[in-house]
Amino acid sequence: MSRRIRDLAVRLLCLLIGIASIGAALFLFVFVFWKGRDVMSLSFLLEKPSGMPIGTDGGIFPALMGSVYLGGLSALIGGVIGIGGAAYLTFYSGGKGIAAVVDKAVTGLSGIPSILFGLVGYTLLIYHFGIPRSLLCAGVTVAAMIIPFVAIRAKKIFSEKGLEYMYNSQSLGLSKEYALRRLIFPACMTELFGTAALGMAYGMGAVAPILYTGAVMQAEVPKKLTDPFMSLPYHLYMLVNNGFSLEYAYGTAFVLMVFLLCIQLLCKFISYFREGAQWTFKR
Amino acid sequence: MKIKDYIVKGLIALAAAGIAALMLLMALHILTESFPAFAQEGLDMFRTDTQWRPVSDKPQFGLLPAMAGTLYISFAAVLLALLLGVGCAFFLNFYVPDKLAKILLAFIDLVAGIPSVIFGFIGLTVLVKWLAVHMHMAAGQCVLAACIVLGIMLLPFVVSTCCESIQNAREHYELAGYALGFSKEMLIVKVIFPAIRPGIVAAAMMAFGRGLGETMAVMMVVGNSPIYPAMMGRGQTIAALTALEMGSIEYGSTHLSVLYAANAVLLVILVLVMICGRILRRMEKDE
Repeated sequence: MSRRIRDLAVRLLCLLIGIASIGAALFLFVFVFWKGRDVMSLSFLLEKPSGMPIGTDGGIFPALMGSVYLGGLSALIGGVIGIGGAAYLTFYSGGKGIAAVVDKAVTGLSGIPSILFGLVGYTLLIYHFGIPRSLLCAGVTVAAMIIPFVAIRAKKIFSEKGLEYMYNSQSLGLSKEYALRRLIFPACMTELFGTAALGMAYGMGAVAPILYTGAVMQAEVPKKLTDPFMSLPYHLYMLVNNGFSLEYAYGTAFVLMVFLLCIQLLCKFISYFREGAQWTFKR
Repeated sequence: MKIKDYIVKGLIALAAAGIAALMLLMALHILTESFPAFAQEGLDMFRTDTQWRPVSDKPQFGLLPAMAGTLYISFAAVLLALLLGVGCAFFLNFYVPDKLAKILLAFIDLVAGIPSVIFGFIGLTVLVKWLAVHMHMAAGQCVLAACIVLGIMLLPFVVSTCCESIQNAREHYELAGYALGFSKEMLIVKVIFPAIRPGIVAAAMMAFGRGLGETMAVMMVVGNSPIYPAMMGRGQTIAALTALEMGSIEYGSTHLSVLYAANAVLLVILVLVMICGRILRRMEKDE
């Protein structure tokens, strides 16, 4: 009898906790979407912020574009270096000496908090190198943050999909580089792009590294790399922290979340549909 | 033909060298910038009777309250994330049809992609408000709010790691357990849970490491007072302190150097936690 009661208790506990956790996750999405839908309009997306204090009227277009530029720039830098590093670790290293150092570096970087990237980027780039607060400065800082993010995932992709190609090509007498260029990179291309896109989403959502390296409360859509820029998460933070406009903060959060969700869902779909799909290569 | 090969090789070598150089640069920069603080303030930063008064006439740079806050908040958040996460993992594995469980797991994974500033924002508008109204607090910003927000942020990480461990354990023990006449609940409590315990501890360590460095979400709900943390009182973490103060400090001042020193200490703690997590993970795999 007591055993049955205990079983029931365990079942109930699991049920309650499970529903509570999933409910909490659901709440996050529903809350932002529900609260943000009122502000949503084409003009909110396409106009510049206005009003006094700034951000209480108008739209978020420069912030949206600033985020896209920042994400693109940092995904480009971080993606190339991260993927290159992953290729080195998977195909060139024997796991000793220099390779071990690079491997440790990736692990180490992945553990560094985002604010520390911001702090180092701030003092190093702005004070030591004299770069103004700009898209470039923030892009480099965020890129440093997403390098380990991309490298760890790319390494997994390479060792799952690429190693076999590499062994086969080597046994046929092809050079490593030829195998990489003609077989492995094309075969893994979609996944690698997906990884870089996830890195972009990760970088676009971060505030800590761009706090003092380039994001500002009001700016035009950046035209050069040395322009300061607006960014969605930074805009959201400023609106909330200074208590300017909660309504517009909900709207900004809505846009940011939809944007990042779209990127993530897209990546998930791609990897879902390609799972198990055989790749056929062109001559 | 050959040239292209050299270019590919060169780029890959460059990328690898870049990563190593970046890590080295970060470490060296943090060390050199924090050196003045250790030279000038030394152990004064870690005495219990010094406070955090960086801009008064006789500046004091006591880091202990922020360090205590960081550890306290991360620890409590990990406890919450473990409680919810482990339960949720069992729920998904044993009480939900496989297909639905997969969808729900993917959904929980999406939470990991929500930026921390949105967590902070929701924490501020929902949790902090609720605390202020129902707990009769002046502002509602408190350590408890930070723990809950951080706990939910760490939840997807704990759930996905635990699900992996549970699936491994199920493959080993499920059929044998049922064959011996165990009920599902007995299997969970007596067999699967003990089997995944090392995995849970490893997940806890990793989550703890992540929690230590979390900035925005915590900063927005914790109240940012450099005092020793108490559940219903305000608190401060090293990451939040850095984010709040680094922008308004003169470059080259002791204040900035102390911030670097605080982060150096944070990094040392992080490394220790990460090493412990790795060792535990390896132990789990060996079993």
